[in-house]
Amino acid sequence: MKVCIKCVMPNTKPDLHFDDHGICDACRSQTDKNQFIDWKAREIDFIKLVNENRIHPDYDCVIGVSGGKDSTFQVLKVLELGLNPLCICFEPTIPTKIGRKNLDNLNNLGVDLIHIKRNPVVYKKLAKEALIRTGDNEWQNHLGIFTTVPKFAAKFNIPLVIWGESPQIEYGGPAASKSRNNLDRQWLEEFGGLLGNRISDMIGVDGLTKKDLSLYTYVSDEEINRAGVTGLFLGYYFKWDLREVVSKSREYGFNHQDRPVETTYENFENLDCYSNHVHDYLKYVKYGFGRATDNACLDIRLGYINREQGVRLVNKYDGRYPSKAVKKYLEYTGFSQKEFDNIVDSYTNKRIFVQDENGNFIRDIDNSLVRKKEFIVE
Amino acid sequence: MSELIAIIDYNMCNLRSVEKSFRKFNCQIITTNDIKIISKADKIILPGVGSFKDGMKELRKLHLIDTLNESVIRDKKPFLGICLGMQLIAKRGQENGETNGIGWIDADVVRFNLNDNQKNLKVPHVGWNSVKYKKNCLLYNDIPDNSDFYFVHSYHYKVHEDITTGETKHGEVFTSSIQKNNIFGFQFHPEKSQAMGLKIISNFLNL
Amino acid sequence: MLKHRVIPCVLLKDWQLVKSINFQSYRTIGHPTSTARIYNSRNVDELIVLDIDASQNIGGINLEIIRDIADECFMPLTVGGGIRTINDIHKILDTGADKICINSIAIDNIKFIERASSVFGSQCIVCSIDVKKIGDTFKVFNKSKGILDLDPFELARQYQEYGAGEVLLTSVDCEGVAEGYDIDLIKLFKNKLNIPVIFNGGMGSPMHAVEAIQNGADAIAAAYIFHFSRFTPNDIKLALNENEIPSRIPMIIN
Repeated sequence: MKVCIKCVMPNTKPDLHFDDHGICDACRSQTDKNQFIDWKAREIDFIKLVNENRIHPDYDCVIGVSGGKDSTFQVLKVLELGLNPLCICFEPTIPTKIGRKNLDNLNNLGVDLIHIKRNPVVYKKLAKEALIRTGDNEWQNHLGIFTTVPKFAAKFNIPLVIWGESPQIEYGGPAASKSRNNLDRQWLEEFGGLLGNRISDMIGVDGLTKKDLSLYTYVSDEEINRAGVTGLFLGYYFKWDLREVVSKSREYGFNHQDRPVETTYENFENLDCYSNHVHDYLKYVKYGFGRATDNACLDIRLGYINREQGVRLVNKYDGRYPSKAVKKYLEYTGFSQKEFDNIVDSYTNKRIFVQDENGNFIRDIDNSLVRKKEFIVE
Repeated sequence: MSELIAIIDYNMCNLRSVEKSFRKFNCQIITTNDIKIISKADKIILPGVGSFKDGMKELRKLHLIDTLNESVIRDKKPFLGICLGMQLIAKRGQENGETNGIGWIDADVVRFNLNDNQKNLKVPHVGWNSVKYKKNCLLYNDIPDNSDFYFVHSYHYKVHEDITTGETKHGEVFTSSIQKNNIFGFQFHPEKSQAMGLKIISNFLNL
Repeated sequence: MLKHRVIPCVLLKDWQLVKSINFQSYRTIGHPTSTARIYNSRNVDELIVLDIDASQNIGGINLEIIRDIADECFMPLTVGGGIRTINDIHKILDTGADKICINSIAIDNIKFIERASSVFGSQCIVCSIDVKKIGDTFKVFNKSKGILDLDPFELARQYQEYGAGEVLLTSVDCEGVAEGYDIDLIKLFKNKLNIPVIFNGGMGSPMHAVEAIQNGADAIAAAYIFHFSRFTPNDIKLALNENEIPSRIPMIIN
């Protein structure tokens, strides 16, 4: 296993490339962000695009929100620019108290908010099948967000959709995606994390019909074109710094947790949903890195910590079993612990984690997997 | 399910696919050529891919034919023959000369005979083809008529008894499944035919 | 009636499943287990997995991942990658694969096909030929040897004579580009061989599949369309059926 010499991201991350110096392309991207991107020019472009698309009499744009630090920041930014956004929240899988509080806080910034309470029966069927089939228990949630937000934009004739950070700029990803400033249908199909599964493939699961899944079906090309829906990544036009985003959001009432979130060392991400921590854990078992690695890498790239500190944080926090989140997840889905464990095991990376002679993964007393020596981050 | 299902291992195929399709149903399966275990089994599966001659050679070498006769003909245990497994229970196979089969079914196993104006049809018959029901068969319960199943073979049944439950067309119409009392045979591979195939397996387990 | 098959063809590289563009620039398409499970749920007709690291790896093909994939497939699975011996084939079939795919070994030693098909049956042996268009002519391409002075059709015909069960023909120029199959290449083979030919490389939309089969392809393989487009295998099959090309569309049963 190779690890970036600047941050701590391992090459087990899909589509992450290392250059000849051993630097990953997410770090390269950060250098570009700091040195080679003309942010002033991009801001001007952004204002231009916004003005071109402010055609709705009441709302200037649509923002998909969760109440989290990112969407709070997006709303603040947009309000600062004098825009009136229509906010859409696609309800998280297992909402938390603090998540609800933060969503109310966002609402209280002074915006209209549509809170989509999707059909819970349909949603749960999707959620369970998504875990088994794709290994991503939040597959249906990503899809829900990426389809409902443009859907509302098209139906209400509000052309501009504002998304937050560009995942590929911040975390690295396929080269083809980094120059993308907009999120459209093709972006969703290629980079949206659908993992080769599509909503129509879920027809028939536990009796689900096409009609049941209409909320998750992408709005037609005709409607998108008629309304001129354009989705822009704020993170493409404005230099995104995670901790600045947190700081600003907190200034305006965003609450973080008292203790670190279960899967990492910080206390401000994925607060709105327990299922997200299970998702982060699944990422860890599949690829050998989790939320703590993501956070440490960003903190290193943004200059908040050095690599040595990053290595310590990763070895201390990454891969911790999120017991509370799993408990809530089992309560929600009705999976037994054994069923859940079997599914997780089927996705656990045999290359990275140690198995006994029967092929069972070895776990320490705190339930965490044991990494093979050559896969320990140094 | 506390029944014991024996999958016969006679060195004639990759058994893992058959095993794993049964494992989907939480039954007690064992892959074996041990006569004692086979005689204790409640249901018997004979899979197989390869030549008729080689198949019979292996069955004889492993002394399995008597046990199969006892379990299936005498004790009337439910039997499922898949692909070569269905072919071997016929009286005769015509691949590379004539070979005697196990003989439970009055049938010959013959090569596809495609004539010149069927140039676009190929042998082996490989791929998904539909099975048209000829008779009721419990193993086809809940499976729509004319469903597609996965075939891969160059030889097929020419049966002389009225036991065809399903027919398929590849140039000529041939028998793709049979049932004679407790004996079921499928020329196609249920374990490779996704949901429809798994349903056949589940129906067999529920007999 | 035998149905025309729609087959995802994916590459295994570094423990991930990837696809390429013109045999270069690899992109991850997913975790092997989830990808196999998804394909199984999407009712694809078969799955082809080629381990492109195999020839460089000391251990050869990554049997662990192949086994994991085979465990999820209740449809036929073809596996290839660095196969050089009869024992290699045994090991792959033992994981649960149904057919194997050979490329370089068949070019180096055509008699290997004969041996393999006599041991395992010809229905088990798929011979893969990669093709590049040079000017107006098609030439066989090999990843390590480059462009060879071999005619793809002639080579396929010889493979057939030596006992191959199927041919997998990949257009290097079209693959990953999603602009359609190489129809001229397909026409070269129409109704000429006695064994099925699966064409691979170029499908960007269901109509490409229709075009390919109307021009003589027995079966079609693809990767891009299944992962980076809005089209599902069912969409492809519906398009085929709408154009009177028989294709398997299983009805949902519980």
